[in-house]
Amino acid sequence: MVVLGLAGIVLLATLHEQRTLPTPDAGASDVLASVPPPLTAAEEAYAAALWPIHSDVKVSAVQMTFAGLSYKLGELDRGGLHVRLHGLNERFAAATVQLRQLQPPASMQTLHGEYREALRLYQEAVVEMVRVIDDGRDAHLLDAQAQSEKAAAILMKLSDALWPGEYKPN
Amino acid sequence: MHQWQGVSTRWWGWMSLLGLGLITMTLGAVPSWAADETPQYSVWLVESSRFMRVPFGAFVPDRVFIPNSTDPQHNINTVDLPVNVGVIKGGKDVVLYDTGWKQQEYLKMTGSEHWAPLPEQLALLGIKPEDVTKIVIGHGHWDHAGQLEDFPNAMLYVQKEELQGIEWALTYPHPKISAVNTSPGGCNRTPACGYPPLTIDQIYGKVLRGKAVIVDGMMEIAPGLIIHPAYRAHTAGSQLLQVNTARGQLLFGSDAFSSWEGIRDWMVANVQQTDTVQQFLAYEKCYRITGGYDNCVSAHEPLSYSDKYPLTKNAWTGPNGSRMAELVLAPGEPSRKPK
Repeated sequence: MVVLGLAGIVLLATLHEQRTLPTPDAGASDVLASVPPPLTAAEEAYAAALWPIHSDVKVSAVQMTFAGLSYKLGELDRGGLHVRLHGLNERFAAATVQLRQLQPPASMQTLHGEYREALRLYQEAVVEMVRVIDDGRDAHLLDAQAQSEKAAAILMKLSDALWPGEYKPN
Repeated sequence: MHQWQGVSTRWWGWMSLLGLGLITMTLGAVPSWAADETPQYSVWLVESSRFMRVPFGAFVPDRVFIPNSTDPQHNINTVDLPVNVGVIKGGKDVVLYDTGWKQQEYLKMTGSEHWAPLPEQLALLGIKPEDVTKIVIGHGHWDHAGQLEDFPNAMLYVQKEELQGIEWALTYPHPKISAVNTSPGGCNRTPACGYPPLTIDQIYGKVLRGKAVIVDGMMEIAPGLIIHPAYRAHTAGSQLLQVNTARGQLLFGSDAFSSWEGIRDWMVANVQQTDTVQQFLAYEKCYRITGGYDNCVSAHEPLSYSDKYPLTKNAWTGPNGSRMAELVLAPGEPSRKPK
């Protein structure tokens, strides 16, 4: 009797679920397919350790961009640009040292290497921008911007993988 | 005496008109009040991509979903939001209002579908990337200021106030304030939300190449094309674009006009770095300039490309299921809508 009762409950529950669970349409499947798989514990630990480094790098990168922008728009002279760029290279170098101390899981080795490459590009960009202070040639800014944009693209790629945030309409 | 004075006044009046006519004929000039020479533009709307299943209440708070409600204001759970780009053609200009965003191998933007490259969409309108002369971005968010490098000849127009707002937010020392979309936990409505550094780098690239105009307030960028500031209507330096057309003035609003229903029914939408009073004042500007809400062009209106948003109803499907609409044609401009 008890067994039959339990079997009946299982049957009812199954039928109920089949009735109430929505069937995803093709569009929904496409959306779900684009959701990245969750990070493993080791990957999450790496992402958490990288976050404070990344926060500083992001701020420094944006400061570099806006220093160039202000200079180009005539809001800063070469002296002003020098002040705004001061210390950025050291901050990117410090980030590189901190990055080396992280132990990425095997699945994150490639991303880790790419991050190191982004930092190298940012450092080169700062060096290139500083040359403007010496000779005033805008070509340095263009070279620096190309490197900085490559680095920003790498950071975007990494961010998307490590902190897959929201892409709601902004 | 009085009668003579009256005759004399009329006589001088007729003589003045005659003199004005003679001067006009002599100079060959047409008085500005006699004929409006402002060019009329052709306008299309192109869907860069579509955000799928966005909770309606997150987009328009007054339309929040209430389970089991039969109230039409509250019985819709989620909506699909287009990312609309304006294409404006007239005289020597092809102008884009916003440029959508660029999908890349590593950047799929979860929850987004129907993305198509803007150059491919423009080709269907007979426009090549090098034909684009001007780009006006309604604001600098990633989904409105992408693909800039695909239009190397285009002059970018961005508000000074927008750049200042971005710099302040992105360099803010507290991570909560400077959080962007890919920060852990997302960014909700923080001051930096929507501004990944990559987008800013691309705007900077335009400035470095001498292909940007930093706008400070209102500016006529061509006859019949006027930028209006709408500070804080969505972001610090939001800007609208007024376009003279055969169906009257159109006003593009980017995310200051995220929802056309919002403009019609007076509801705030897509609140980001937004002062809601300023958003309502931007709506008011559209009523004032265009004479109502019909000609307000919205960036994310879910009813876009349908009869329910009449301005955009003359629509068809383009690359990868993206949609396009012909809003109005200038005299002599052939239709681009497939037969």
